[in-house]
Amino acid sequence: MKTGEPGIVTTTLEKALEWGRSNSLWPLTFGLACCAIEMMAIQASKVDISRFGSEIFRNSPRQSDLMIVSGTVTKKMAPRVKRLYDEMPYPKYVIAMGVCVIQGGPYVQGYSVVLGVDRVVPVDVYVPGCPPTPEALTYGIITLQKKIRGEAVR
Amino acid sequence: MVEFQPGEERGKDGRRIIKVRKENLFETLKRLKSEGYIHLSLITGVDRKDYLEVVYHLHSLEKNEYISVKTVTYNGVVPSVTPLWKSADWEEREEYDLMGIKFEGHPNLKRLFLPENWVGHPLRKDYDLKNVQYINVDEDGEDYATFDQGDGW
Ligand code: SF4
Repeated sequence: MKTGEPGIVTTTLEKALEWGRSNSLWPLTFGLACCAIEMMAIQASKVDISRFGSEIFRNSPRQSDLMIVSGTVTKKMAPRVKRLYDEMPYPKYVIAMGVCVIQGGPYVQGYSVVLGVDRVVPVDVYVPGCPPTPEALTYGIITLQKKIRGEAVR
Repeated sequence: MVEFQPGEERGKDGRRIIKVRKENLFETLKRLKSEGYIHLSLITGVDRKDYLEVVYHLHSLEKNEYISVKTVTYNGVVPSVTPLWKSADWEEREEYDLMGIKFEGHPNLKRLFLPENWVGHPLRKDYDLKNVQYINVDEDGEDYATFDQGDGW
């Protein structure tokens, strides 16, 4: 029954923080290879991640909470990825998008590719695929939100 | 070992392939440039184990035709074509970086992609992939290669 009187919601501070954090994941504008094209698509109208609170891609690591490592991490790029990760403020999360980032992918026998970005920065959610569809990446982001809220099955 | 025969043939797609000895390479390319193949679109290298092959892909804008010029080298040295095409500068540096082909007369033959102290040329057949190398950045932002991971990793 709607009476117009304000109601009361009780929660713990921790839960409120988790809720706030998980629904305001701002990713870093950061694309390394072909996967980045699919990452851009999650911001477009079809699978709009603004619906889940990932409102804008920030251009500065200091304003972002989430790093979507989308695309082949070369050995030249690895120290830079680390540096960008270090510049992000806590709490910070990393999604590894694509098989290249997970373990080297098609370039696993190459001389120039890092065999997994988890050798450089800690990864929270892995999204496999070459490239993963925008839907898969959105699923990855939702999984990360669940993980932040402590619901994810690890 | 197959002996290298200078001459002309057609590729599978009908493209003209001109094979020259490296002594005649510069004159041949100069002649082709005066015949209208003014655009050097690519220089590639092939490691045939006994020798290295260098392929120049030229494009004629008038005829809209591509041709390839092939040459071989047994000691890894070929003459530079930078006097003919300025764009050959970086192409030859890339060749030197990844294949280890030295271009005689190049104004600035340094590595293009990899750091200066990287060991070996990675697209050669005899490159040792087991010896993993890592790249780190020093305070000035310059890359350097190491065999251990270092603190950038
Ligand atoms: S996983 Fe596939 S699509 Fe993604 S960066 Fe690697 S090669 Fe490109």
